[in-house]
Amino acid sequence: MNNMFGKFKALPYIFILPAFLLIIVFKIYPIISTLLESLMVKGTFTLDTYETLFKDKIFWKSLWVTMKINIVMIPLQIFIAFCLALLVNTTVKGIGMFRTIFYLPVTISLTVATIVWNLMLSPNGGVINSILGIFGISQQDFLVSKTQALWCIVLIATWKGVGYWMMFILAGLKNVDASIYESAKIDGANWLKTVVSITIPLIKKVLLFVFVANTSINILLFVPMQIVTQGGPEGSTNVLMYEAYKSAFKMADRPRSAAIVTVLLVIIAIVCTLQFRLMSEKKEA
Amino acid sequence: MNKNMIIKNFFIYIGLIIITILTIFPLLWCLSASLRSDTEFYKYVTPFSINTLVPVDFTMDSYIKLFTKFNFARPIINTIFVSFVSIVAGCLLNSIAAFAFACFKFKFKEVLFGIFLVSFMVPFESISLPLYKVVSNLGWVNTYAGLIVPTIASGLVLFLFTQFFKDIPPSIIEAARVDGANWTQIFLKIILPSSVTVFVTASLIIFMDQWNSYLWPLLVARSKEIQTIQIALSSFKMERVTLWSCLYAGSMISALVPLGLFLPTQKYFVQGITSSGVKG
Repeated sequence: MNNMFGKFKALPYIFILPAFLLIIVFKIYPIISTLLESLMVKGTFTLDTYETLFKDKIFWKSLWVTMKINIVMIPLQIFIAFCLALLVNTTVKGIGMFRTIFYLPVTISLTVATIVWNLMLSPNGGVINSILGIFGISQQDFLVSKTQALWCIVLIATWKGVGYWMMFILAGLKNVDASIYESAKIDGANWLKTVVSITIPLIKKVLLFVFVANTSINILLFVPMQIVTQGGPEGSTNVLMYEAYKSAFKMADRPRSAAIVTVLLVIIAIVCTLQFRLMSEKKEA
Repeated sequence: MNKNMIIKNFFIYIGLIIITILTIFPLLWCLSASLRSDTEFYKYVTPFSINTLVPVDFTMDSYIKLFTKFNFARPIINTIFVSFVSIVAGCLLNSIAAFAFACFKFKFKEVLFGIFLVSFMVPFESISLPLYKVVSNLGWVNTYAGLIVPTIASGLVLFLFTQFFKDIPPSIIEAARVDGANWTQIFLKIILPSSVTVFVTASLIIFMDQWNSYLWPLLVARSKEIQTIQIALSSFKMERVTLWSCLYAGSMISALVPLGLFLPTQKYFVQGITSSGVKG
């Protein structure tokens, strides 16, 4: 194959060029520009922005909030998505309809999902509280509570996002040869063992994709904070991405915003690299 | 055996129904709220009764108001136009680049592919400020180009295409080469026909991205003429008197359009992801 295609050395570059130029101008350049902005003050190279940032208690608190929400949200979403995918991969009657229903929230924008859930979770006269009332549970504060707001955002983002990841995992499951399950059954493996030792390794590629994509989306999640909580109450939902947004648009401190975004991108890069390493090591084993 | 099956299916249905309720409740709530007046809506929220969900006086007022008073058709048409151009351009450029990555060996291939992958891990939100500067220097603020061009090259779409094309046996391409086909012919006659599913998948992903996009249009398309649907929706919330029923009606429309596209194509969507996911 190498010889065959060797004659057309320039060709692949020509094919890539249009997309590559767009990526450079509209993705890579802005990323580098973010990095530079965080490192330059009045035209000179300096680490001042980072020094100030790392001395700032608000930054560390915000980093902690970001970690807290993601450590829960990323595994939770993928776990639920995986369970849903297993469920809709069964062959009971009407399963196509259920699959479609589970996907419905994906078609809704996060903006709309946030606005609708915010109203449903309203402490006074929200429908969730009136449902809880049926079971004799007292009124909850939800998004205006310091302890509950972050988890309400997890709920909103999970409700909206899980169907999307379910589809990818389901697609992976559909690709698994049914005869493999049959032979596992003959070998007497129980359901859980089959899932862990056969299904998961077989759909590893999909899972890796889902992990990486889900991580970068969730670490940068900020629409619910921007629309509803404004990082509050008492900074309890003030994730780094919202802090960056605030720095840029409310405090007009662009270097600070750029420095925070850079920190976030580094975190995403580290987490995704770890995921790549872990998943591909298993493959060789 | 048969009894076991019945019990198993029973539990599967229980699970399916519980999740259905959790999934669909906010949507039904939204639908119901869009079909009643604001006063009626608040009257029946607590305590919980059947009328919390079922309107007493059905009214389409909010939908009518949406199109007559707020000119909601304009953002809808804008967003459809932006999505359509993005789909055509995005599918074309990304699939051609993916073709190169999947079927050729060349220097710096890994580095170049890595650059695309990086871009897929960096969502627009995080680079919106410097990106705005680029687009503004190009004179594209408040133009369709500003909404469309920066989103065309997509790491995710390229990744899907590449994974899919890797499965096309090189021997088929080689045979076509021997028969004297040029690369355009190979792309159009071999690659395209065998990749309908992944093209549908990519189109849906691009559409959903554009349709639901919020921060970027908020920055770059502020004029009413090219406003997109999510911005039009959020403007209902931003205005001092929040028009809840109109917001719900708009949300319903915003949800129904992608749904209308997804339902007839979902078979392809699953197939497209299936074939690009596991092998290769």
